[in-house]
Amino acid sequence: MSYHKPDEKTLQGLKDIANKLRILSIKQTCASNSGHPTSCCSAAELMSVLFFHTMRYKAKDPRNPCNDRFILSKGHAAPILYAAWAEAGYIKESDLLNLRKIDSDLEGHPTPKLAFVDVATGSLGQGLGASCGMAYTGKYLDKSSYRVYCMLGDGECSEGSVWEAMAFASYYKLDNLVAILDVNRLGQSEAAPLQHNMNTYKERCEAFGFNTYVVDGHDVEELCKALWMAEQFKGKPTAIVAKTFKGKGLKGIEDQDNWHGKPMPKDRAEELIQDIKSQIQSPNKHIHPQAPTEDAAAVDATPVHLLKAPEYKLGDKISTRKAYGVALKKMGDASTRVVALDGDTKNSTFADIFKKAHPDRFIECFIAEQNMVSVAIGCATRDRTIPFASTFSAFLARAYDHIRMAAISQSNVNLVGSHCGVSIGEDGPSQMALEDLAMFRAIPTCTVFYPSDGVSTERAVELAANTKGVCFIRTSRPDTAVIYDPKEKFEVGRAKVVRKSDDDKVTVIGAGVTLHEALAAHEQLAKEGVNIRVIDPFTIKPLDAETIVASARATGGRVITVEDHYKEGGLGEAVLAAVGEEPSIVVQRLAVSHVPRSGQPQELLDMFGISAKSIVAAVKRTFAN
Amino acid sequence: MEDYHKPDQQTVQALRNIANRLRINSIKATTAAGSGHPTSCCSVAEIMSVLFFNTMKFRPDDPKNPNNDRFILSKGHAAPVLFSVWMEIGYLKESELMSMCQVDSMLEGHPTPKQQFVDVATGSLGQGLGVACGMAYTAKYFDKSSYRVYCLLGDGEMSEGAVWEAMAFASYYQLDNLLAILDVNRLGQSDPAPLQHHVEKYQRRCEAFGWHAIIVDGHSVEELCKALSQPRHQPIAIIAKTIKGKGIPVAEDKMGWHGKVLSKDIAESVTRELQSRILSCSKRMYPASPIEDAPPVSLRNVRMPSAPNYKPGEKIATCKAYGVALAKLGRYNERLVAMDVDTKNFTFSEIFKNEHPNRFIECFSAEQNMVSVATGCAARDRNIVFASGLATFFSRAYDQLRMAAISESNIILCGSHCGLSAGEFGPAHMGLEDVAIFRALQTSTIFYPSDGVSTEKAVELAANTKGLCYIRTIRPETSIIYNSNEDLHVGQLKVVYQSKDDHVTVIAAGLTLHEALAAAEQLKKERIHIRVIDPFTVKPLDAKTIIDHVRATRGRVITVEDHYYEGGLGDAVCSAIVNETSFTLQRLAVAHVPRSGKMSELLKIYAIDRDSITQTVRKMLSSSANAK
Repeated sequence: MSYHKPDEKTLQGLKDIANKLRILSIKQTCASNSGHPTSCCSAAELMSVLFFHTMRYKAKDPRNPCNDRFILSKGHAAPILYAAWAEAGYIKESDLLNLRKIDSDLEGHPTPKLAFVDVATGSLGQGLGASCGMAYTGKYLDKSSYRVYCMLGDGECSEGSVWEAMAFASYYKLDNLVAILDVNRLGQSEAAPLQHNMNTYKERCEAFGFNTYVVDGHDVEELCKALWMAEQFKGKPTAIVAKTFKGKGLKGIEDQDNWHGKPMPKDRAEELIQDIKSQIQSPNKHIHPQAPTEDAAAVDATPVHLLKAPEYKLGDKISTRKAYGVALKKMGDASTRVVALDGDTKNSTFADIFKKAHPDRFIECFIAEQNMVSVAIGCATRDRTIPFASTFSAFLARAYDHIRMAAISQSNVNLVGSHCGVSIGEDGPSQMALEDLAMFRAIPTCTVFYPSDGVSTERAVELAANTKGVCFIRTSRPDTAVIYDPKEKFEVGRAKVVRKSDDDKVTVIGAGVTLHEALAAHEQLAKEGVNIRVIDPFTIKPLDAETIVASARATGGRVITVEDHYKEGGLGEAVLAAVGEEPSIVVQRLAVSHVPRSGQPQELLDMFGISAKSIVAAVKRTFAN
Repeated sequence: MEDYHKPDQQTVQALRNIANRLRINSIKATTAAGSGHPTSCCSVAEIMSVLFFNTMKFRPDDPKNPNNDRFILSKGHAAPVLFSVWMEIGYLKESELMSMCQVDSMLEGHPTPKQQFVDVATGSLGQGLGVACGMAYTAKYFDKSSYRVYCLLGDGEMSEGAVWEAMAFASYYQLDNLLAILDVNRLGQSDPAPLQHHVEKYQRRCEAFGWHAIIVDGHSVEELCKALSQPRHQPIAIIAKTIKGKGIPVAEDKMGWHGKVLSKDIAESVTRELQSRILSCSKRMYPASPIEDAPPVSLRNVRMPSAPNYKPGEKIATCKAYGVALAKLGRYNERLVAMDVDTKNFTFSEIFKNEHPNRFIECFSAEQNMVSVATGCAARDRNIVFASGLATFFSRAYDQLRMAAISESNIILCGSHCGLSAGEFGPAHMGLEDVAIFRALQTSTIFYPSDGVSTEKAVELAANTKGLCYIRTIRPETSIIYNSNEDLHVGQLKVVYQSKDDHVTVIAAGLTLHEALAAAEQLKKERIHIRVIDPFTVKPLDAKTIIDHVRATRGRVITVEDHYYEGGLGDAVCSAIVNETSFTLQRLAVAHVPRSGKMSELLKIYAIDRDSITQTVRKMLSSSANAK
C-alpha cells in the first residue's frame, strides 16, 4: 500500500482543530487559574492528527474494547486531552471550564473517572509501560487489530521506566504500539537534558529497537505520513520523535523559559486567543474519527473460580510461594483471562508452574519491576485480563510509585511478593521484604493477603482474581505445614482462629512463618499448662477487627502480634489501629526492629525476636506484668 | 593508544592465576555456605583480577581511604568474588571467607557496609551505577581529585531503567572518571537475559546514551588490560562478553545454574581442575597506590550561623523555608550539596542553587537516580547531601531508599507538596503515603515542621543526624508560630496551645497543625479547651511526653494528619500509647484516593480541617460525658 497524502481540505481541517484545541486548553486553564497550557500547545497538532485522522474509535463509546487506545503519559497536558474529547463530541465544551474544580471529573491530571482515560497519569514516565501492557494484550491475547498510541513528554524520557518499556516493546515486537515524543525542549525548572537534540533521541529509540521517525511536530502533513508509515511497519514498535515548541502559537511565550505550569495571564489571554483564532479557516468544520474494526471480544466479567478444591492434606509441607504457583496454574485452567507476569524470578516465585501450563499467557518482564507493574496495569484495563504479577516482595518497592498510581487508576491488578522477611535467610537484607506490608497498607484500594499455608494461599489467589482494586499477596520462602482442610472457606477480611480453648490467657496474632512459630509456641506453652489463642488474620487489609477484639476480650485484653516485618506499618500497627479505640486491650508487638543480616532462617527468627521462643517469652512477660 | 603498554607475559599469567584463584575461592565459599551464586562469580573472574590488580589504584590496607579508586559491585549477588579479591589482597582471612553468610560473619550474602571495602550495599539490581555517578560527580566537581570510579554490572540488571537514568546522567555531566564494566554472561535467573550475547546491541545503547563503549572478550586478560587503559574523554563502558559459570564444566553457559551452589564433590573436582591451570609465576601483583589529592573534609557540627529570621505571625510556606534554610546553611559548609529532579522551583531548592550553583546537581526527572547519586555523594562522608522533590515521587525511589538504609547512608530527603496541599494538581501529585514508607525505613528520622522557624531547625538538625532524614514540607503559606530562638530537638515535641484545664490533646503537624490551632481558637469561644501538640519529628516520636499530656487531658487524644490512615502520624501515636488502657484515641486522616480541587475544599471533604477537629472534640467530650 502506498501513502496518499490527505487532501488540502483535510490538512487545513486538522490544522484548524489543532488551533481549536489550543484555544480550549488556554480557556480551561484560565478558568481554573492553574494548569499547563504551554505543555498543551506543543502537542496540539499531534493530538489533532491522532484523534481526527489516525486513530480509529467510537467517540460516543470511549471504553469500547475495539477502540484504539490513547495514553497521555505527559498527564499534565490533560486540558488538551479534554479538549480533544470535546471536539470529538463526547464532552460538552462548556464543561471544560470546570477543569480542576472539586465537583468536576476533569481533574488536574487524567484519571479513570473519565471514560476515555484507562490509566491515571501525572507521575511521569509511566504511560508507555501501561501502553505496552495494552499492546501486548491486543497483539497476543485479544489478537485484535486495535492499536495503542502513547504520547510522552521529553522531560519524562529521563525516567528509567520509559526505557524499560522501550526494551519490552521491542523485545515483544509490539508493532501495534506507537510512542509519540513531544520534544518541546523545556522541562519544569529548566531545559530538558537533550534540548532539541533530535538525533540523540532517534539514536536512543533505535538502539532500544524502535522504528523511529523524526518529524516536525507542528506539521500536520508530516504527522499524517509518519503515523501512516508506523501502521505499515511490521515487527517493531514505532517512535515518532516530534520536534515541537512549548507554548507554540502563543506570542512571546513560545519556547520561553518559566512558563511551565502557568496559565496565561488574564490580561493577555484574550489577545492570545484571538491571535490563534485568526488562523482558523473553518471554525465550524468537524472531522469525525474513523470507526474501529470490531474484532475484540466483548468483556467477560464473570467471576473465576477454581475448578477443583485445593489438593493438600493437613500436615503436608509446602511453601506459600510454591502454593501460589500451583494455585495460579489452576486459576489459569479455570479461565483464559488469567495471565501471569514475572521479573525474571519465576523459578523463585513459582510463577513458572503457570508458565509451563499456559505459556501463551505468561509474560516475562525481565528485571524491570516498574515496567512489569505498568504492563500488568495495562493488561488489566478495560477488564481484558486478570493479571498476576510476581517478583521478590522487596523489589516491589522498586515499583511503589506505579502501585500508587494503580490505585488512582482504579486498577484491578494483582501483585504477588515472595521471599518476605528475614525467613529467607542467607541472601541477606537486600532481598528481604520488611516494609512491603507498610507499603501496601498505605494504598487505599488495596487488599492485602498474607496466607499461611497451601490451602489459604490457593484461596487467596482465587479471591484476589475476583476482588476489585489492587490486591497484594505476600508469600514466604520456607516450607510450612498445611494447617487448613481443603474445604475450609476463606473470605476477605475474615480471620481464622487456629487454636482456641476455654481458658486462653493471651491472643497471639501471626501470619506466614510467624503463624507457624505461634503454633509451636502454643504447643510448648500447652505442655506447661498455659493456653493461648492463635489467630491467622488471612488478610491484613481489611483486617478482621471484630474477631481480633472478641479474642482479645476473651483473653483478658492481652494481645501479642508477631510479624516477619518491620515494626512500622505492618501487622502490629494494623492490629493497633483495629483495637485502638477499645479500652483495656494491651498489645505487645514482636517485629524486626532494625536492618537484619545474613544467616540461617531459624537463627534470624530467633535473633530478631519473632520465633516461637520469643513468643513463649512474650506470653510469660505478659503474665509477669 | 600510543602510550598503551601491553602487560608482559609474567603479568598476564599472574592475572590469569589470580582469576582462577578467585574462582576457586568463590566456589569454596559458596559451597561452604550452602548458598550463593558461584556461576555469577566465575563470569567476572578475569574482570575482577584485572581491575583490582592491574587497573585500580588503592591502598589495600585502608579500603576507606578517600584517595582510593572506588569500586561498586552493582551485581551484588557476585559478592563471593569480591570477598575473594579482598582475601587475595590479604585483607580477609580464608577462615573468614569460609564462614560467609553465617549469622556471626561480617561477610553477608550480598555486599553491605559491614565490610570496610563496601561503600554501599548492593543486591537490589540496577542501583550501583547511580551510586557510582554520585561518587564520580563528587570526585570530579567537589573533590576535584584524581580517584576514579569503577562499577561492575550484570547483563540482567541492564533491564532496570535505573541503569539508563544513570547512563544519561553520567554523559550529561561528562563523568570521564567513571568506568562501567558490563558482564554480559548471557543468562539471567530464570531465562536468558533479553539481549543474550548481542554485545553490539549493548554497545549501541551505551553509545546512544553518550558513552564510549568498547566490546571485549571478558575472559581475555590482555583485552581487558588494554580496554581499561583507554584514554578517557567521556564515561566508558566496557562490554565484556563472558560465559556464566566459566571454569565449571557442568555449568558453563547453561540455564538452571543461577544461584546454585556446587555440591562438595563437584566443587572439589572443579577446584582441582582450576588449580591445575594456575601456572607457576614469579610475579606478585600489588595494587598501585593512589595519588593523594583528595582534600580533607569535615562534616561534623554543621551549625546555622544565626537564628531564623522570621517574626511570629509572618507567613511563609515550609517548602520555601526549606530553600531559605538550605541556602543559609550552605554558606557555612562548603561540603553541603543539594540536588533536585527538575522541581527546584517547587521545592525551592533553587534558592540554594542560585546562591551556590557549583554545589547544586540537577538530576532531571529521574528520582531513582537522584537518590542513588545522593547516596554516592554521601559515601565516605564526602558531602552532606540534601535531595529534594515532590513528596509523593520519593515512592519512585523507594527501593533505592530501602537500600540506602541497608547501606548505612547519611542522606537527607526533602519532599514538598505533601498531602492535599497539592490541591488542583490532583491525586497523582499528593504525597499521602510518604510518612508510611519513610517510617518503615529503619535508619530514618522524619521531620515534619510546621512553620519557617522549625523548618530551618529541621534542616540544621538533619545535617547533623545520622541515617536517612526526611523533611516533609507543604505548599501553602502558614504563619510563623515559634520564636526564632525556640529550642527544637529530634524526638522532642512542642506544645503550641494549652491552658491549665485542657479537655483534649490534639496532635497535628504541618497544615493540620494550623487547622488544629484554628479549631482551638474556635473551641475556646465555647469554653472548650484543647491542648495542641506539634510532634516536630514523627520518628522518633516523643512518646513519653505525649503520654504525659494525654493523661493531663483525661486520656482524650485526637490525631489529625494530611496523610492516609495507614502508617502515618496516627499509627505512630497509636504505637506510642498502645498500653495506656485508659486512653481514647480518635484519628482524622485521608481515607481514600482524593481528587482535584481547592485545598480548603479538600481539607473539608476529607475531614481533616478545623471544623472536623472541633466536631470530633465535641463528640469525644459528649460521649465521655455520657459514659459518666
